[in-house]
Amino acid sequence: MPTFKLDDREIPFEKGETIIAAAYRQGVEIPHYCWHPGLSVAANCRMCLVEIEPAAGQRAMMLDILKWDAEKNDYVVDRKPKLQPACQIAASDGMVVRSESSANVKQARAHVQEFLLVNHPVDCPICDQAGECKLQDYWMTQQRTFKRMRDEPVHKPKAQPFGEKIVYDAERCITCTRCIRFCDEVAGDHMLDLRERGNKNEVVLAPGRALEGDYTLMTEHVCPVGALTSSHFRFRARVWTLKEVPSICTGCATGCNTWLDYDPREQKVYRLRPRDNEKVNKFWMCDDGMMSYQHVHENRVKGARTGRGSSEALGVDEAVSRAAELFKKAGKGKVAVVLSAQMSTEDNLVAVELGRQFGASFYLSAKAPWRADKILRNADQNPNRAGATAAAMGAAVGSLRDLMATAGEGKLAAALVLGSDSDVSDAELSAMGRIADVVVLAANEGPLTRSATLVIPVASVAEADGSFVNAKGLAQGFKRGLQLQPEGAPGWQRVAEIGRAMGLDLAYKKFKEVRAALTVKVPTASPDAPAASAAGAGTESHA
Amino acid sequence: MLFWIQAFVKIALIVGVLVNMAAILLWVERKQSAMMQDRVGPNRAAIAVFGKRFRLAGLVHSIADGIKMVWKEDWEPKTGDKLLYRLAPIVALVPPLCLFAVIPFGPTLYIDHAREMFSPAWATEATARTVPLQITNLDVGVLFIFAVAGAGIIGSALAGWASDNKFSLMGGLRAASQMVSYEVAMGLSLVGAFMIYQTVRLDEMVAWQQEHTWGIFVQPLGFVLFAVSAIAETKRVPFDVPEGESELVAGYFTEYAGLKFGMFASGELVEVCTSSAILVTIFLGGWHMPFFTDRGLEFIFRGASAVSPEVAAQFVASHTMTPGFDASQGVTTASLLQHCANAFASVNGSFVWHWPHWAVVVVGLGNFVLKAAFLIFMQLQIRWTLPRFRYDQIMKLGWQMLLPAALVNVLVTGTAILFFNGPSGG
Amino acid sequence: MTATTKIIRKPARTLADQSYLLEVVKGLGVTLKHFFKGTAQLVSGNRPDPVKEPYAEGVATIEYPDEKRPYARRWRGVHRLTHREDGSPRCVACLCCSTACPAQCIYIKPAEYPLDDARRGYERYPEEFVIDELRCIFCGFCVEACPCDAIRMDTGLHMTALDNRASFIFDKAMLMSFPSQDNTFLSENPRHEPGDESHPGIDRVRGGH
Repeated sequence: MPTFKLDDREIPFEKGETIIAAAYRQGVEIPHYCWHPGLSVAANCRMCLVEIEPAAGQRAMMLDILKWDAEKNDYVVDRKPKLQPACQIAASDGMVVRSESSANVKQARAHVQEFLLVNHPVDCPICDQAGECKLQDYWMTQQRTFKRMRDEPVHKPKAQPFGEKIVYDAERCITCTRCIRFCDEVAGDHMLDLRERGNKNEVVLAPGRALEGDYTLMTEHVCPVGALTSSHFRFRARVWTLKEVPSICTGCATGCNTWLDYDPREQKVYRLRPRDNEKVNKFWMCDDGMMSYQHVHENRVKGARTGRGSSEALGVDEAVSRAAELFKKAGKGKVAVVLSAQMSTEDNLVAVELGRQFGASFYLSAKAPWRADKILRNADQNPNRAGATAAAMGAAVGSLRDLMATAGEGKLAAALVLGSDSDVSDAELSAMGRIADVVVLAANEGPLTRSATLVIPVASVAEADGSFVNAKGLAQGFKRGLQLQPEGAPGWQRVAEIGRAMGLDLAYKKFKEVRAALTVKVPTASPDAPAASAAGAGTESHA
Repeated sequence: MLFWIQAFVKIALIVGVLVNMAAILLWVERKQSAMMQDRVGPNRAAIAVFGKRFRLAGLVHSIADGIKMVWKEDWEPKTGDKLLYRLAPIVALVPPLCLFAVIPFGPTLYIDHAREMFSPAWATEATARTVPLQITNLDVGVLFIFAVAGAGIIGSALAGWASDNKFSLMGGLRAASQMVSYEVAMGLSLVGAFMIYQTVRLDEMVAWQQEHTWGIFVQPLGFVLFAVSAIAETKRVPFDVPEGESELVAGYFTEYAGLKFGMFASGELVEVCTSSAILVTIFLGGWHMPFFTDRGLEFIFRGASAVSPEVAAQFVASHTMTPGFDASQGVTTASLLQHCANAFASVNGSFVWHWPHWAVVVVGLGNFVLKAAFLIFMQLQIRWTLPRFRYDQIMKLGWQMLLPAALVNVLVTGTAILFFNGPSGG
Repeated sequence: MTATTKIIRKPARTLADQSYLLEVVKGLGVTLKHFFKGTAQLVSGNRPDPVKEPYAEGVATIEYPDEKRPYARRWRGVHRLTHREDGSPRCVACLCCSTACPAQCIYIKPAEYPLDDARRGYERYPEEFVIDELRCIFCGFCVEACPCDAIRMDTGLHMTALDNRASFIFDKAMLMSFPSQDNTFLSENPRHEPGDESHPGIDRVRGGH
C-alpha cells in the first residue's frame, strides 16, 4: 500500500484517496469544517490547508506577500509557500505533507478561524451546539486570539424554521454547505441551497419547499456549528451535562448504531445520534429513528397490575408469583409463549427456554411493516425479528395471527407475552380474550397490554444491556444508560424469576450469564461470538 | 407559739431568699461574665405588658430558664437506679440550704424595744418577743456546717452512680474524691480560728469579732485556705472537674434534664451563697462593721484630740441622750443631718451617732448582706477569671499545699496564743 | 559545616509565679478592670459603636437584629434575577449557572420567544427559574458564570430561616422581586437589547455595503 508522510507519520492510502480522508482513517485529524467522510468534497472552509513539500527537483509553489517588519515599522516583501486544502488533494506515494509541524499552516488556520468568526454572534450561552461546536474546539486549539473587528457584525435571519424539525440561524452559519450536500447526495432531494455571496451568504430553502422527508435531522447532525438546530432538542439540555452510551436504534430492522445521550442527573434520554458504522448505517440515521428515543419515556408501563377490565396495581414480586401460579394451573402444553421482535435476543432466549421446559408453543409479537426506502429504512419496523426467531433455536415460531387462530379454537389456557406491539388489527386481537390468563411483560403500553390479564413492567432499551440481530443478520449489542425504573428489571430477569417460581431450571441471575448462554446456544445471534464481533461494532461518531 | 411562728418565718425567709438568689445569681453570673468579657450579656428575653416589652437588663432570662426547666421533657435513663436517680438532686440541693440554719445574719431583734435606744438590760429579759436573727443557735455551730456541707457530696456521688453512665460515674467519683480532700483542709483551716475565738458557736464568733477585730486580720492564712476550700466545695471553676465538659460531657449530671438538672445548678449557686455567708460570719465580722455598735455608729478620734478611752466612754454615754433627737419621731433626713451637725460641733474629734434599735438591726443585716454579696461577687469573678485545674493539680493542691498550710497555721496560731497570753491564757 | 545550637532555656518561674496566689490576684485585676469598664459603659450607655468602631476598647457586641454591620458590596446574599428596562428577566436561560453550580441547586426550563418577537433567535428566556436556597452554598459561581449579568447576589439579604423546605424553593417571580442593596432591579452593565432602535448594526434591511 502506498504511503505519504504527514508530519512525522507514515500514512497509508488507497489510490485516489485524499490526504484528509487517509489521515482520518488512521485516526489523525486535520482540522476541517466542510469536509465530511460521507459527503463530497467542497473545499470551501479552507481550514484543512496543509503545506505540501515539492517533489524532488520541482520548485515549490510560492506566494509573494507583504510581511510586517516591526523593526522597520513597515511592510517588507516576502514569500511563503502556497498552502493547499488537504480535503481536495489526492495523496500520492512519497508525498511529504506538513500539518502541525508547519508554522505557515498554523498561522493560516488561525486566520481562517478568525475570519470565520468575524461575523459570528458568539452567542454560545444560548446556542445548543455549545460544547460540541467545531468553532469552539478550533478556537481553543488553533486560534486563541480575541476578536479584532470593532464594527457591528452583519445581521442575518435568526431562528428561522426550516420545516418542522429544523431551525436555522444564518448568523452562526459558516456556509460550509454540508447540509446542502447531505440533502443532495444522501437524501437525494435538493431542498437547500445558498444565496448571496460574501458576508451575506446564507443557506436558504428551495423556493416553495420546506425541509421535509425522512432525513431532515441529519442536516442538523452534519452541521459543524450551531446554525442548524433540531426543534426537539432545542434549548432542552446542555450537551456537557449529557452522557452517552452505545446503543442500537429500535426503529426498524436496519439496526442503525446510535449514541444514546442522556442526563444522568435527571435520568432522562435527550437524543439519539448516529454512531458511525460502515457496515450498517455509515454516518446516518433517519428522522423516525432519531426520534425513537422518546419511547423510553413515553407511555411506559408504570408498575405491575391486573388487566382486562379490572386494573389493580400490585407489587412486582407478587405479580411474578401470581404469573407462575397461573402457568402451573394452566398446565404443560396449554401455554403459549409469545416472543417479541422489539425486545432483545437475550430476553427472547430466556422466554424460549422457559417455553421449552414447559412444552409451550411459540409465537412472535411485532409491529406492522412501515414505509421503507433505499437509504436506511427497512420495511420491517422491528429491530429484532431475526434475533427473536433465532433465539427459538429451531422451534416453530408462529405469527400473532397464528396465535389468534389457535386461541380462537380455545386450545390455550395461558400465554406469556413479551412486548406489547401487535401487527394484527384490534378486531383480530380480540381473540386473546379466549385465553384465560395472558401475562404481558412490556416496557411500553400497547395493544397487547390492553388485552392482558396481568401486566409486568420490564426495562426499555435505555435501561438494560442486550443485543439485536438486524435484517442482514448482524448481531449488535447495546449498553445500559439509565438506571432501572422503580420495580423495573430487564425482561430476561422477570422471565427467569417466573420460571424459577414455576420450579423450572432458569438459573440466570446476571446479564453476563444470559449473554454467555446465547453465545453458546445461538452463536449467530450473539454479538460476543467471534464471527459477529469481527463484523464490526460502531465507531466514534463523525460530527 | 411565737417561737414557732418566728422560727417558721425565718426559715421561710431564708429558704425563699436563697432559692431566689439562685435565679438572681444565674443572671448575675451571666451579666458579670459578659461585662468581664466585653460583651453585653443576656438581654433578649422580655416580659410584654400591654404591648410594652420589659427586658429588665436580662433578668427575665432567669424566669425563662425556670419556665423552660419545668416544661422540659423529664427524661430518665432507662437502666439507672430510679430511686437514687430521683433522690440525688434533692440531696444535692437541701444541704446547702440547711447550712444557713446556724448562720447569724444580724443582731438580735427585741421587738418590744424596737423604737428605743439599745440597752444591755434587754438581753436579760427572756421574752418570746426576742428574735435572734439566726434560725437556730447550735452549740456545735461550725461543726454542723462541716457535717451538712459534707453531706452535699452524697448528691453528686448518687447522681453519678444512679445515671448508669460512665461519664456520670466518673464525674461522681471526681466530685466525691475532690470534696473529701478539701473537707480535710477546710476543717483544719478553721482550727486556728477556733483557737482564737475559743468557741465553735457562730454567734459567739461574731461577738468576738465585734469586740476585738475581724477574723481575717488574726487569721489571714486561715481565711485564704478556707476560701479556696470553700470554692472547691462548690465544684465550680476552677475546681469543676466533676463537671468537666471537655472530658465528661457534663459529669455527674450528664443524664439529668429539666428541673432535676435545675436543682443541681441552683444547688451550686446556693452553695456559693452559703460559703460566702460562712466566710463573712467567721472571718469578716458577720453583721458587724467598724465603728458599729449595738447603739449605732461611734467614731472616736483618739489621735486627734488625745481623748482617753474613759473620756470617750463618758462621751458616748452622754450622747445617748443627745438633745434634739426624739427617737419616737423616727429618723428623718433633716433630723439626722441636724443631729450630725450637733454631734460634730460639740465633740472634739469624736463623732457619735446613735439610732433606735430597729435601725441598728437593719444596718446590721445590711452589713451582712453587703459583705456576703461582695464575696459572692468575688467568687463569680474568680470563677470567670481562672482556668480549670487538671485533676491531679486539684489533688496536689488539696493534699500537698492546703493541708500542710492549714497545719502550719494551727501551729503558728497556737504559738502566738502561747506567746501573747502565756501558758494559762485562753 | 558544624551545627550551631542555640539553647533556649525554659523561663524560670519565680516563687511568686509558683505560689499562684499573686497571679490569681493579677488576673482578677485584669478581669475586674474590664468588668468595671464594661459596666460603666453599659450603664451610661456610652459605649463605642461596635459597627463603626469595631476595634475600640470596651463592649464589642453587635446586637445583631437591632444593629447590623454594613455588608461589603461583594458580599454574597440571596440571589436576584436582574431585570431589563421592560421588566422582563435578563436571563437567557443558557444554563451556565446551573452547570457551574457545585450544589446543583438551580433548575432552569428554557423557552423560546415566539416567531414574531423581535428577540427571537437572539435570546431565549427562562420559563422557570428555580433555586433551592437550602441546597445553595452561596459560593457565587453562578454569578461568575453568568454571561448576561442576569443573576446577582448583591441583595444584601440573608437566607431567612423559614419553617418548611418548600419555602426555600425560590421561583422566578420571587427571585425577580428582590432589589439590590442599591435598591435597583437593573444591573450595572447595560447592553443593547436586540430589536431596539438603538441597536447598531447592519442587516439585510438596514444599511448594507
